[in-house]
Amino acid sequence: MGPGSALIAFVVGVVVLVAVAWPRRGVWPRLRRALRLSERVRLEDALKHLYLGEHEQAARSIESLAGVLEVSRSRVVALLGRLEEIGLARAGAAGIELTEDGRRYALRIIRTHRLWERYLADETSLAPAEWHDAAEVREHTLSESEVERLAARMGHPLYDPHGDPIPTAGGDLPPVRGVLLTALEPGQRGTVVHVEDEPPAVFAQLVAVGFTPLARVEVLERSESAVRVRVDGQEGTVAPVVAAQVTLDPLPEAAGDEDAGATMADLAPGESATVVRISSHCQGRQRRRLLDLGLVPGTRVRAELDSALHDPVGYRIRGALIALRRRQAELIHVRRAGGAT
Amino acid sequence: MTASGPACRACERRGPELVQLGGGAFDHLVALAGNPNTGKSTVFNALTGLRQHTGNWPGKTVTRAEGTFEREGARYRLVDLPGTYSLQAASADEEVARDFLLFGRPDVTVVVVDATHLERNLNLVLQILEITDRVVVCLNLMDEARRHGVLVDPARLSDQLGVPVVPAVARRGEGIRQLVDVVERVARGEVTPTPFRVRRHEPEVERAVASLERALRAAWPDLSNARWIALRLLDADERIEQSIREGELAALGAGEGASPIDPDAVEGVLEQAGRLRWTLTPDFHDRLMAGLYREAERIAGVALRARPGSGAAEFNRTLDRLLTSRWLGFPIMLAVLTVVFWLTIAGANVPSQRLADFLIEFAHPVLKHAAAAVGMPGWLDGLLLDGVYLATAWVVSVMLPPMAIFFPLFTLLEDFGYLPRVAFNLDALFRRTGAHGKQALTMCMGFGCNAAGVVATRVIDSPRERLIAIITNNFSLCNGRWPTQILMATIFLGALVPAHLAGLVSAGAVVGIALLGVAFMFATSWALSRTMLKGEASAFSLELPPYRPPRVLQTLYTSLIDRTLIVLWRAVVFAAPAGAVIWLIANVRVGDASLAAWAVHALDPVGLVLGLNGVVLLAYVVAIPANEIVIPTVLMLTVLLAGLPEVGAGAGVMFELETAGAVGGLLRAGGWTLLTGLNLMLFSLLHNPCSTTLYTIYRETRSAKWTAVAGTLPLALGVVVCFLVAQVWRLAVG
Repeated sequence: MGPGSALIAFVVGVVVLVAVAWPRRGVWPRLRRALRLSERVRLEDALKHLYLGEHEQAARSIESLAGVLEVSRSRVVALLGRLEEIGLARAGAAGIELTEDGRRYALRIIRTHRLWERYLADETSLAPAEWHDAAEVREHTLSESEVERLAARMGHPLYDPHGDPIPTAGGDLPPVRGVLLTALEPGQRGTVVHVEDEPPAVFAQLVAVGFTPLARVEVLERSESAVRVRVDGQEGTVAPVVAAQVTLDPLPEAAGDEDAGATMADLAPGESATVVRISSHCQGRQRRRLLDLGLVPGTRVRAELDSALHDPVGYRIRGALIALRRRQAELIHVRRAGGAT
Repeated sequence: MTASGPACRACERRGPELVQLGGGAFDHLVALAGNPNTGKSTVFNALTGLRQHTGNWPGKTVTRAEGTFEREGARYRLVDLPGTYSLQAASADEEVARDFLLFGRPDVTVVVVDATHLERNLNLVLQILEITDRVVVCLNLMDEARRHGVLVDPARLSDQLGVPVVPAVARRGEGIRQLVDVVERVARGEVTPTPFRVRRHEPEVERAVASLERALRAAWPDLSNARWIALRLLDADERIEQSIREGELAALGAGEGASPIDPDAVEGVLEQAGRLRWTLTPDFHDRLMAGLYREAERIAGVALRARPGSGAAEFNRTLDRLLTSRWLGFPIMLAVLTVVFWLTIAGANVPSQRLADFLIEFAHPVLKHAAAAVGMPGWLDGLLLDGVYLATAWVVSVMLPPMAIFFPLFTLLEDFGYLPRVAFNLDALFRRTGAHGKQALTMCMGFGCNAAGVVATRVIDSPRERLIAIITNNFSLCNGRWPTQILMATIFLGALVPAHLAGLVSAGAVVGIALLGVAFMFATSWALSRTMLKGEASAFSLELPPYRPPRVLQTLYTSLIDRTLIVLWRAVVFAAPAGAVIWLIANVRVGDASLAAWAVHALDPVGLVLGLNGVVLLAYVVAIPANEIVIPTVLMLTVLLAGLPEVGAGAGVMFELETAGAVGGLLRAGGWTLLTGLNLMLFSLLHNPCSTTLYTIYRETRSAKWTAVAGTLPLALGVVVCFLVAQVWRLAVG
């Protein structure tokens, strides 16, 4: 085989490999996805949505189920029939109702889904937009013991990264509390409790502005067409219909200006500041490490050493010189020593 | 006090964590804890000398070191816990340390504290004091603290903490005797510490703790640490929950008279803990840490005396600014690395030659004579002396001198404190490929030996970044491959240019290959972090310790011993069998040709496609254990197959020729071309890691999957690159 033909054969081989193995769009991943969408998975998805409908006091019709599951109406009817057969749902006066067994099953799925999202958010570097989809797949494949082990390892988290409460193994689920962002007047503050993750386009907008559970929000302006807010020190604007997807725990008036607006990344070399708090965007292993190093509220820090490429920067924290990347330093809110923000 | 009586009773009380590494019975168990970088290992070495063993903690990839020391007839077993900032069991290290303190029940716990960073170290001390009473604080690095103008009053500190505090300068041996004294008194019960316990948390936390404490005491009346356990349960500590479920905790409290576990009581307590967790704010953990640090600050404030600005701090700052500056940082780094490499190559030349002369030129014939005199059968003599002995001797003579120079130099830089600054400077580059700045260091270590580079990745405590560093370490051109590269460059590339430029061109080519390896490292890191390692856990932190004057002689000595032992061990374990295989394939005949001939014949077509040949491929297969013996094997095979009995030393006997020119002549006679030489250089860079490295990777990752990836990824790249180069070459040159 001459070199020319060998090269051509190689290129053809690479093209075939790419076409088959390309993540998401390749032949192999598509095949795997199709096989995964077995009947059990669809049934579980249906159960989950029926439960969420009950919980949020929004009736779920056949049409809405068909939309959410992306199947035909007749398929939905068939699925519901199957659920009735197994004893997980029944046709009631107000539409489709879940039985006790159905509710318990649905809660388990939801628990797995939210726990997995929490794991992805805390322990991995996956982008927020991908959590939901990844969890949608995982919720059907983790066994009960695996779920329990995961929960234990993460310290039994109470909320998923959107702020939704994670059901306990015993099936407890406290109601979603708080008020909608649109209910707050300009000047009022709150802590984000929940961010609606569907539809994905809206969620992406909310993430871009900085809405995440535990973030501090101050309403600056409210009009018919827009709501202007300051989220964890950063200003942003969203449409009212988007703002309605955020639920807050209102803070009392005298909460004090804790945001200060500045982060460690803003400090010039030689400048000192006091830590106000670590942003809620920093969770899991990273947050624990920062706390271990002593970055608790009230700690004095000083930017001391700039590296050759300006990132990372060395900060003097409790006597030690610790290097932090810009991305991490931006997540630590501080009050500058001069008093100004 | 005999060694058997009290020890046996003590052993019964202890949990399964206490898997002895050997060393016999002991009277007292002492745990050694502390932050990383506090000189804990120096204290450990000072106390145990050479009487130590290392191994692994059961089921974990964390190293475990244990040693013994004696005092007044009593034997003390010292267990070195991993250095941790905290005991929240958030990482394998912390889990191991915490579990040992809780279930291993040491008689005394020594916490090594860095006097220069008192507040942060006190965080760990306070957490340890919550678990156990019998604590002794070893206030180390007092000399450094003094140099930086930090004056700690041990008496006041001891007052505040309620436990004995012993000041020390471990690396000079100061304070060690007093430490042993105090440890002995605490172990014997002559001194009972009354430790300070953090008691003032916020009201809602205190309420929850009190309620849970009541439930715990109701279920287990003899529980001694109910308050601490309650706090851990509220912080959702998995290990504590598990130990409650399995009754470990109950057994601890009650001792011999343990009441049976009541599963309902257990579930009741755990359920209550879960419900109470709902009532606490989500940032409970943050508040706990804040509370701890408040106390640490207060205590440090009492124990520290005024610190004036000091000369050492100024010196540190100036040096730092110099070494990390925009204009000077990188040139200085390059200069330092160049010096290290130059010293290694230049310095190793003569010793390598001498070793080879002794082991191979001198000792080998002597052994052969002896074997003949004893009447050893020819095949056994060949197998043992020509195969096993020669391979081992080769590896030792090639590997030992460079490693004995390279690693001590590196350890000196590390001791001095320069290496973290290198990571600091280069982190931005590594971050863009999804890796950690410290990978620069492990990459440099890899230039000495890839297995050492893999072990060095322990400094990267973020799992994902660590895996990336491990998998890509092979792209650092290790010491064992330099001879191959230099030889090929001299023969094939140097020959292309006039003689006065030949040396420069060859050197340039080798440097080029090394840089290509670095480029591959970055590219692979980037690809891995986007695909296979996308979802793995990740966190960044880098501490820049103050500069310390390195103990030159001591470092050189310990590093030398360390490295020598490792090289010798590796030579025996891995290279020796390879030597046997090499001899066998050349001498075992199947049909009318040796095994080697058959193999080469079969591999030739594959070799041709890749721009190499069957000899090279076979040499690489049998030399998986050690890159050093590739060239001698190649020569032996070439001679064997070309049927040149007057060259070399016989079938299956590896050899080398005096000059590169002679080697070149032989290879060309065997059909080698410029392409073969070039591709050999590329393949040498890009093939699978040697078996020592693979073994080390498995030991460090405990994962067959990642070891397989680390083994096959470079090989696949090597095959593809050689293939492409060969085809393009043939198209272009014909």
